[in-house]
Amino acid sequence: MLLPVFTLKLRHKISPRMVAVGRYDGTHPCLAAATQAGKVFIHNPHTRSQHFGASRVFQSPLESDVSLLNINQAVSCLTAGVLNPELGYDALLVGTQTNLLAYDVYNNSDLFYREATDGANAIVLGTLGDISSPLAIIGGNCALQGFDHEGNDLFWTVTGDNVHSLALCDFDGDGKKELLVGSEDFDIRVFKEDEIVAEMTETEIITSLCPMYGSRFGYALSNGTVGVYDKTARYWRIKSKNHAMSIHAFDLNSDGVCELITGWSNGKVDARSDRTGEVIFKDNFSSAIAGVVEGDYRMDGHVQLICCSVDGEIRGYLPGTAEMRGNFMDTSVEQDLVRELSQKKQNLLLELRNYEENAKAELSSPVNEVDGHRGIIPANTKLHTALSVNLGSEVQAAHAELDISTSNDTIIRAVLIFAEGIFLGESHVVHPSIHNLSSSIRIPITPPKDVPVDLHLKTFVGYRSSTQFHVFELTRQLPRFSMYALTNPDPAREPLSYVNFIIAERAQRVVIWLNQNFLLPEDTNIQNAPFQVCFTSLRNGGQLYIKIKLSGEITVNTDDIDLAGDIIQSMAAFFAIEDLQVEADFPVYFEELRKVLVKVDEYHSVHQKLSADMADNSNVIRSLLVRAEDARLMRDMKTMKNRYMELYDLNKDLLNGYKIRCNNHTELLGSLKAVNQAIQRAGRLRVGKPKNQVITACRDAIRSNNINTLFRIMRVGTASS
Amino acid sequence: MDLNLNRADYLQVGVTSQKTMKLLPASRCRATQKVVVGDHDGVIMCFGMKKGEAVTVFKTLPGQKIARLELGGVLNTPQEKIFIAAGSEIRGFTKRGKQFLSFETNLTESIKAMHISGSDLFLSASYIYNHYCDCKDQHYYLSGDKINDVICLPVERVLRDVPVLACQDRVLRVLQGSDVMYEIEVPGPPTVLALHNGNGGDSGEDLLFGTSDGKLGLIQITASRPLHKWEIRNEKKRGGILCVDSFDIVGDGVKDLLVGRDDGMVEVYSFDNTNEPVLRFDQTLSESVTSIQGGCVGKDGYDEIVVSTYSGWVTGLTTEPIHKESGPGEELKINQEMQNKISSLRSELEHLQYKVLQEREKYQQSSHSSKAKSAVPSFSVNDKFTLNKDDASYSLILEVQTAIDNVLIQSDVPIDLLDVDKNSAVVSFSNCDSESNDNFLLATYRCQANTTRLELKIRSIEGQYGTLQAYVTPRIQPKTCQVRQYLIKPLSLHQRTHSIDHDRPMNTLTLTGQFSFAELHSWVVFCLPEVPEKPPAGECVTFYFQNTFLDTQLESTYRKGEGVFKSDNISTISILKDVLSKEATKRKINLNISYEINEVSVKHTLKLIHPKLEYQLLLAKKVQLIDALKELQVHEGNTDFLIPEYRCILEEADHLQEEYKKQPAHLERLYGMITDLFIDKFKFKGTNVKTKVPLLLEILDSYDQNALIAFFDAA
Repeated sequence: MLLPVFTLKLRHKISPRMVAVGRYDGTHPCLAAATQAGKVFIHNPHTRSQHFGASRVFQSPLESDVSLLNINQAVSCLTAGVLNPELGYDALLVGTQTNLLAYDVYNNSDLFYREATDGANAIVLGTLGDISSPLAIIGGNCALQGFDHEGNDLFWTVTGDNVHSLALCDFDGDGKKELLVGSEDFDIRVFKEDEIVAEMTETEIITSLCPMYGSRFGYALSNGTVGVYDKTARYWRIKSKNHAMSIHAFDLNSDGVCELITGWSNGKVDARSDRTGEVIFKDNFSSAIAGVVEGDYRMDGHVQLICCSVDGEIRGYLPGTAEMRGNFMDTSVEQDLVRELSQKKQNLLLELRNYEENAKAELSSPVNEVDGHRGIIPANTKLHTALSVNLGSEVQAAHAELDISTSNDTIIRAVLIFAEGIFLGESHVVHPSIHNLSSSIRIPITPPKDVPVDLHLKTFVGYRSSTQFHVFELTRQLPRFSMYALTNPDPAREPLSYVNFIIAERAQRVVIWLNQNFLLPEDTNIQNAPFQVCFTSLRNGGQLYIKIKLSGEITVNTDDIDLAGDIIQSMAAFFAIEDLQVEADFPVYFEELRKVLVKVDEYHSVHQKLSADMADNSNVIRSLLVRAEDARLMRDMKTMKNRYMELYDLNKDLLNGYKIRCNNHTELLGSLKAVNQAIQRAGRLRVGKPKNQVITACRDAIRSNNINTLFRIMRVGTASS
Repeated sequence: MDLNLNRADYLQVGVTSQKTMKLLPASRCRATQKVVVGDHDGVIMCFGMKKGEAVTVFKTLPGQKIARLELGGVLNTPQEKIFIAAGSEIRGFTKRGKQFLSFETNLTESIKAMHISGSDLFLSASYIYNHYCDCKDQHYYLSGDKINDVICLPVERVLRDVPVLACQDRVLRVLQGSDVMYEIEVPGPPTVLALHNGNGGDSGEDLLFGTSDGKLGLIQITASRPLHKWEIRNEKKRGGILCVDSFDIVGDGVKDLLVGRDDGMVEVYSFDNTNEPVLRFDQTLSESVTSIQGGCVGKDGYDEIVVSTYSGWVTGLTTEPIHKESGPGEELKINQEMQNKISSLRSELEHLQYKVLQEREKYQQSSHSSKAKSAVPSFSVNDKFTLNKDDASYSLILEVQTAIDNVLIQSDVPIDLLDVDKNSAVVSFSNCDSESNDNFLLATYRCQANTTRLELKIRSIEGQYGTLQAYVTPRIQPKTCQVRQYLIKPLSLHQRTHSIDHDRPMNTLTLTGQFSFAELHSWVVFCLPEVPEKPPAGECVTFYFQNTFLDTQLESTYRKGEGVFKSDNISTISILKDVLSKEATKRKINLNISYEINEVSVKHTLKLIHPKLEYQLLLAKKVQLIDALKELQVHEGNTDFLIPEYRCILEEADHLQEEYKKQPAHLERLYGMITDLFIDKFKFKGTNVKTKVPLLLEILDSYDQNALIAFFDAA
């Protein structure tokens, strides 16, 4: 049993995920964490009260060894580490929705203070790829930005959606770090500098990422899942009803391999083996865990695992010695093993008895209702499942349909579908009322995204009066484009937007791809190239045309740029295409984007104007205040009153101005997100090198504010015409 | 002194019932004792521990499910004869496993509880109590509600037969012959009885009882009246009590109280100078503790608590330390024993696995033939669906002998599923389709590995009634699921109580018509929880109930052709009226319903609600302030500048937050009940006031008792 080597109780709340340990003076490790009211506290138990003279830092009135840093804005991320290797001590980095502050705690000065228009939801500090100096990389609305110690913007790229988590990890084993980005669209993307080298789709928002060792990394999702990936392959994952607040890699059992330490929302901390996910240690706090970090907090040369709860409780654990052989639980391993084996034995005995009883039941008369009550059904009962597209009716929207039926007179009492990402929770239940029981059931399914999903079905089969049912378990895959129905081509409705590309594949292979990815009716017979197929989206009725010419040229007509991207990525994966250049045109979407870009300019100018106004106003305030005070000293109460009245009005104006600024800012953020997404989408229409070229070129075009070039790049894939 | 007990698992048998494991008396002082245990397969297993290995003394062939196992023998000699109750039969075995008695009682119901004293045999089935002497019928009693346990005070000390029945209607019935001498009211449905100190204490009249809501108490049964000695309330909200024993595990010369609960909790209480029990030790096992006894099994010289659990584990909590202080050689030997045990288990498993594979193949093949049938493996589900008085919610506990894979919860009435901390399963709520499928709730609980016990909390709404179904799928092959049904009754938040306050203003509902006593009783059973299914003896019966949420009361008195229901809550009467008339119409019975409404009762109910509402409002307000105040505290460094009220909030912050978390949606529930009260009040007057409800909610938002009463009067 592993016990904490130290326990502290600070009287400050700690905001979740915002804890960092740093040696801000080069020797003493201090704990920095974001707390309430836009403040960051630094707990320094080693050196007694240094007095800070500046405005930003002041001594905490509650605790002698805690100093508070005023940020005056809600802190959205926080980290500490070496930003400038020449300094020899750590910098504290604090991100908010609008800014990034790099702070030198020891000298009590700002290293830099940069505006981050895309916000900073997550931050990571370290070296990335070939960039020599350490970078503070922040992730915001679809954008990633890296700053060096002078605040120079050395790294900038876009990603698919709002960033929620970042980590640096040597993903491909080349000795250099790659950036892992977890975002709101459930994707983990791996950036080798600004090139995406891998994408893994998860089932919920990725809230945390942490490097383990080598190419292995841990992740946590907002639905309570934690797990470990090695490169693109998932090693294990577990799901809890609680949420993982913070994950960290730490070698707790001294076996030379890091375990995944998870801090949960119910106050539990557990350490899991990186290979199996087996729990080797757990402890409980009275409130949710805010962060898990490591550091030599006692300055005795041993690194401790430090866990902090949101209520300010801090516990440090020393790794167990080798003699403990990882035996941290209070019951011995052997006991557990015996119990487990014994349980297995009981289960097998139970199963054996079941077969025996079955054999007995077989000897008796044929199946009747009495048997049904006890849950006896004909042994040859089979379950048929079929997936199809239902075009819907007046009362029901169009949907994909799963048809389940039994092969005889048995009935289906209920169907449980466990699948990720397509239902509200992780499961969907169909439980017909007792009067509507039959041997077949139709289940409408409407996946919100075009992703292939495994449906794990559990079907309860029995008779009407049964109290025990057989559970038939099977898995069906819902193809990626299940929400598109094959329809007859209607040239009048053919979308104007298209993507055009050439692949060196036979038409038959394309037909196989179609069969795997769409729900085609069974009698569909597609002749040889050239041919065209037409689909209608069940979500919005939009048309999708896929045309294939003899030369291998494929044209996809759709107004949905995301769908076009999905189709290209799916085809590229199926045909193992490494690089694909695509010609694309989405007039409607591009027009919208043009408008957004114009708006961005507008918002920027409004922003500048408002800032100028505010500066003016603050000058006026200063003078008014002086004049009012003058009047008071002169005992000219009337003037003083008037001045204060003016001040009051001005204050109101300022407040209004602030509201406008806020609105302007949110609008701006929205528009910037749309722009970032547009670049990402344009990239997704290509594969491999052309994809990266498009993203880089688009970014350059935006930087140089060249809208026409931007559109040309999006259309043909390169800047040069 | 700290009590440190280490867990050691001995053996697993089949599923066990309450009180089915005993330790045989040791042959000599400080020797190890043998364990005898009976399971649902009907097997009695007697074993001792030798060098960490279970050595079987005897094992009987499977038969009917064993409901109880007791030890007996000639009085004042070692009690080492084994008696079991299975079905309606009592069998006796010697400690060597030789059957010497088989007694068919011819009871129509199967035996639920048994007590043995010399040649006297006290038995109870669901409602019937029988006393046999030398297998000859002596006395008989028919109880009004289910009998959970039976015991008799030690005849050698009190010199007369005093059988005591623990009945589900919260009463202990003390008998004399075939008649009730007197009844003792206890705070919850009693589930287990035991003699204090194993012999009835100093007087031989001290009786321990445990209830299904987790309370414990000691009562002295004197010849004329009961004396309540002490009671332990269930403050920590632990599970119901299934077994108790007295044994000096602490080693201070005074026998301690050992308690096993249905949530897997094992507790040890020792007694202080004033003979009040003090909790000394607790430990959780993962499943119901069905029997508990102190003794010495694992190693001579070390006392231990031996428990058996629902899935049949016999486990010792021993004072023997795990890590010996002796030399390294000893350690090695212990490991060797363990290793041997593991390897023998492994080889056994391999053998079984091979056999199972063969059978599985056979089973697969049979599915190709058209004549073959496929039976579902039966497994036993131990379930409990009870109303908690503290927060007026139901808790549903499901326990299966093997690990649960998933549980589907379906309900045809609107109910809320609440989160339970103990339960680690991942819950997922499913959309209830709009079709007329009678689904108001569909939720799946996917359990983590090795979960054998699942606890759910459910909040019901009075007046909305129907069925809750749980489909339990364990992790056994072939995959199967069992459905369990639980009734959500119309007056689901009511609980039986011993007495009511007769001074309250009451509304009365009177039913008259051509119906039998049994019919009316069945309607009452339909409407209210905790009423015995069997119509009670006698011509006229009265039950008292209390609303666990509002503390309003209900009195129901009925006989053939007439039923009178009295309550100070108009909503209760309204619900009864609706349900009863619907039921009567369904059975085509002509029913005359008349009611008498007491206007004052509405005001009275509002006054009853008032303190609760005020408390909740204040609590909500305080909790809202906590964060802001804490921030101020951080900013200013001290709290001296705050008014005392705010300082008080800061000091109590943790407690307030905890309190607030404990009662989610409490305020909403109160609002809902006030709204019901308002609607029901005017429904009896024949006016529909649904349109005025928004106005009422507005008044509630800025709550003031007088304004609310005025609104009720004015509308």
